[in-house]
Amino acid sequence: MLDLINEIWQTMCTNKLRTALTGMAVAWGIFMLIMLVGMAKGVSNSFSSGEFAKSSNVIMLWPGRASKPYKGLKEGRWVPLKERNLKEIEHDNPGNVAMAAPSFDGTTVNMSTERDYVSRSYTGVYPEAREQMTIDYGRFINDKDLAEQRKSIVIDYKTAEQLYADPTKAVGKSLNVGGVAFNVVGVYKHEWKNDIFIPYTTARALAGFDDELGMIRVITKDLNSEEDAEALENNIRATLGRSNSHAADDNSAVWVWNRFESYLANQKVMNILNIVMWVIGLLTLITGIVGVSNIMFVSVRERTHEIGIRRAIGAKPRSILAQVIVESVSLTTIFGYIGILLGTVGTEILAHMFADSDFIKDPTVNLSLAMQVTCVLIVSGALAGIFPAMRALKVRPVEALRTE
Amino acid sequence: MIHLSDINKTYPGAVPLHVLKGINLDIAKGELVSIMGASGSGKSTLLNILGILDSYDTGEYVLDGTMIKNLSENRAAELRNKLIGFVFQSFNLINYKDAVENVALPLFYQGVSRKKRNKLALEQLDRMGLREWSHHLPSELSGGQKQRVAIARSLITNPAIILADEPTGALDSKTSVEVMKIFRQLNDEGMTTVIVTHDPNVGAQTNRIIRISDGIITQ
Repeated sequence: MLDLINEIWQTMCTNKLRTALTGMAVAWGIFMLIMLVGMAKGVSNSFSSGEFAKSSNVIMLWPGRASKPYKGLKEGRWVPLKERNLKEIEHDNPGNVAMAAPSFDGTTVNMSTERDYVSRSYTGVYPEAREQMTIDYGRFINDKDLAEQRKSIVIDYKTAEQLYADPTKAVGKSLNVGGVAFNVVGVYKHEWKNDIFIPYTTARALAGFDDELGMIRVITKDLNSEEDAEALENNIRATLGRSNSHAADDNSAVWVWNRFESYLANQKVMNILNIVMWVIGLLTLITGIVGVSNIMFVSVRERTHEIGIRRAIGAKPRSILAQVIVESVSLTTIFGYIGILLGTVGTEILAHMFADSDFIKDPTVNLSLAMQVTCVLIVSGALAGIFPAMRALKVRPVEALRTE
Repeated sequence: MIHLSDINKTYPGAVPLHVLKGINLDIAKGELVSIMGASGSGKSTLLNILGILDSYDTGEYVLDGTMIKNLSENRAAELRNKLIGFVFQSFNLINYKDAVENVALPLFYQGVSRKKRNKLALEQLDRMGLREWSHHLPSELSGGQKQRVAIARSLITNPAIILADEPTGALDSKTSVEVMKIFRQLNDEGMTTVIVTHDPNVGAQTNRIIRISDGIITQ
């Protein structure tokens, strides 16, 4: 094997410029492949790290209006979600539901401090309602708040600014909510959200609680496929239908956002994006491979006499075949690795450039991509070598006797 | 050592060309023989068949006790490697390999380790008086030196016969004499040698001249 590599090294060195130019095409092809796949990976990463994907284990339910008559009840009636529905959902789907968390929207009240006041409504929530939201100062509603019916409140940055002038110092201050003193435990910044959160149990105890939930968050578990997610969704609809008297297939009586399904659909799109990038990259690489194949043809033609000599002094067809193919594979692999190197640097630069962007996140080359590309290189090198090698096989040993 | 009986060879084509028309030839072990003939006489074809580079249609060719007929490419390559040492008119050295590597090449195809074959190659070069030139490329050698490297290469596998095709064709008269001296010397050491040539001077230095004309041996 070492001898074979040595042989190939010698033949490559006899035509340095040609080898280099041919190799450039391969390196470029691999570079493009890595950049494209890296970019696709970056986009995919940004999606899977976003708010959207991390809470893919949540099915959200909102109340709606029935669109079908049910047991004498007319269509068009309002179907509220009730607190009892939580237990029913948990009870009917023990395998796939970790918990059902309610959220209650209170009526508009005045919230005031010594400095200013706002007329807003609050939302009574479980800690699960935080999802991917970052709390910039303090914390979100926690289990203890819930258990002890604490008068804790989480407000948004703008409201905090209005009420306390300095939002960074709002945590720990008190807030009068419709006559009840609450303690500000957290302040969050968000592009568009400005909800004010208090513990669900506290909201329940306040005046105005009417057992009409604003929303139910079903935290799912052990969902493995779109079918699982769909089945659970249908079970929940059936449970609610029985309890709240509407048809199980009445899609407007309860609004469902099944994030797991969206997540899967999203994954599908990402896979397609990835495949498309691979295809484009491979097509770019083909240019390089054709170049290698071409140059191997030229090389075989040039060395017809030499191959004849080798055959005459005892080279078997197999060793001629091996030499051409291994040479082709070496050529593609060596320059392919230069391409991988450049691609690695390229994606690092890309990562740096898009460091603050939400669209491309960590597009850099990982080990598995490097391995995949290595396989691609070896296979394409062998493919590029096959036809020239067949040509080389046709060289007859009598060629050696032909005087140049 | 070489036994040919009634060898016929026809090149097919629109007008089939009957090149060898029943060649009968025996060459004993240790002979130094020259095959002479004009171009078109069939001597190149005969050389190809002797060198297992080409096949023949009918007849029988036995080389060193081995029947040479209907061989696979692999087997032919193996036999060429083991039984025959080739010396060519245009030396046929591989131009990007130095003298040692060129001489060692037949052993490479036998799967001999690099260290061992380079040692053997160096011995052969030494025998040809080229030890100091062992790491020179063919382009850095004179014609006579190149042919001596080629002879060293033909000897390295300890072949049954040396087959030389116009070995002096590309050399001046002085170096031709040197090269022929080497062949005579090898023959003295017992090497069976067949030289194909059209140079009467070369022929005269061999023990037996076989003349071929129009596809048959005339003498």
